Amino acid sequence: MLEIKNLTVNYGGVVALNQANLEVRAGEIVTLIGANGAGKSTLLRAVSRIVTARGGQLTYDGHDLNRLRPDEVVHMGVAHVPEGRRVLARQTVQDNLALGAYVRSDTRAIAADMQRQFEVFPRLAERRNQLAGLLSGGEQQMLAIARALMSRPKLLLLDEPSLGLAPLIVKDIFRIIGELHRQGVTILLVEQNARLALETADRGYVLEAGEIVLSGPASDLIEDARVQQAYLG
Amino acid sequence: MVAMVLAATLALSLYLPLMSGQLSLATPGFYAIGGYVAAILSTKVIHVTGPYPIPLILGEMILAGAGCGVLAVLIGVPALRLRGVYLALATIAFVEIVRVLSLTVEFTGGAIGIFNIPQPFVTANGIEYLLIALPMLICAALFVYRLERIGVGRALVAIREDELAADAVGINPTRYKVLSFAMGAMLAGAVGALSAHFLNTWNARQGTFDASIAVLAFVLIGGSRSFVGPIVGAMVLTALPEGLRAVAGIGELPVWLATLLRDGRVIIYGLLIVICTLNFPQGLIAPRQPVRKAVKSS
Repeated sequence: MLEIKNLTVNYGGVVALNQANLEVRAGEIVTLIGANGAGKSTLLRAVSRIVTARGGQLTYDGHDLNRLRPDEVVHMGVAHVPEGRRVLARQTVQDNLALGAYVRSDTRAIAADMQRQFEVFPRLAERRNQLAGLLSGGEQQMLAIARALMSRPKLLLLDEPSLGLAPLIVKDIFRIIGELHRQGVTILLVEQNARLALETADRGYVLEAGEIVLSGPASDLIEDARVQQAYLG
Repeated sequence: MVAMVLAATLALSLYLPLMSGQLSLATPGFYAIGGYVAAILSTKVIHVTGPYPIPLILGEMILAGAGCGVLAVLIGVPALRLRGVYLALATIAFVEIVRVLSLTVEFTGGAIGIFNIPQPFVTANGIEYLLIALPMLICAALFVYRLERIGVGRALVAIREDELAADAVGINPTRYKVLSFAMGAMLAGAVGALSAHFLNTWNARQGTFDASIAVLAFVLIGGSRSFVGPIVGAMVLTALPEGLRAVAGIGELPVWLATLLRDGRVIIYGLLIVICTLNFPQGLIAPRQPVRKAVKSS
């Protein structure tokens, strides 16, 4: 579904990603783990075209993503849940969700989808008329995910959904990620919480200083000595 | 009255780009261009005897608006890559370019400007101009009100609040920034065309940096988060000098106070801006707060 070949991204003179290769097949959860600054978020941003790749191929469903604008990528069914959630703090929960359906025009189905998000995330239903900025961190993360789902994505890019959240909330978020997966959403998950990510994912990639150093089934990676030492402590 | 309504419409033209978070001070530039379009057309191209027909004025307004809109797209595509204060500086430069051009080019009448722009009405104070200005303001206000409630408005607000988030949900920020900039320019151009007739004369002093700041003050004092704010701000600030002069004329006031009220308008203006900024940081008209339901503890 998504194929990344020899992806290289620079920020000024700094190489953020060097010749990275990664593949996501339909129906999978693939996780990309690595330390701070390894280039994980950069990879997601290159896929959603928020940053421009210096080299390499990005193919999604047979389309060359490198030729598209960010909004066109969303139209193709790729939704990005950015790092740090990025909900519109001064808008209500409901308005944030409506914005997520921006690329669609089927009003009735949008309303039904919003109802569905409220079923998946009951906390959001309770607070639908509150300003998003007043939500807790976990609720904002749920809102960010729900907002992305409102575009009915085929591929969901999740950037550090556990960032800054209490362990109990993190567990809740990952339970929902698993549920989305069972409903057929393909997910590319970037995480620092390697154990949880590998437990949730089908396959994993390990990114170190801009290069993919390891990849394989998540259950193998979790047993790998190097992964254990570096990321699972 | 007419001046108040025109000022309010101008304030809306600055509010439009601000909806997408773009601080553009280009309004007086487009206002000046719109005025020249009307002034040149009505004095040099069209010759009518007797009262000037209103449909022609409307035609000039539409033409001025359309011209300014096209120009705004041409300028906006490169200029809107700039952010915040840099965009403000670039738009100030645009206003200056328009001013200097209109001083030097022949057909704008140079420093003297264009005189004797024909009048559609016979009374001296031109109160009938409200017949055109007021519907224009109402249309513009209704348009902005509607805009804030449909998808486009939502996209603009999303860009204002978080451009990256807007990108992530599939909004093309450049397109909407240029769109809001162009809509503001069209409105400013139309106001300029009408003002040229109202003022009877048009020259390079109509579109200056001072005017940029004045329009910005309308929006800041009125409130920049709701379209009612700029309208109220513009009306209050336009009426203020006249009001002060009237108060000064009452007599019985100490001479220094009367003098201050009459000639110290700028000082009072400045004081007012400081006071408003301190006490009403969101402007006189603050946005409605969404209802916050009491949260039950679970």
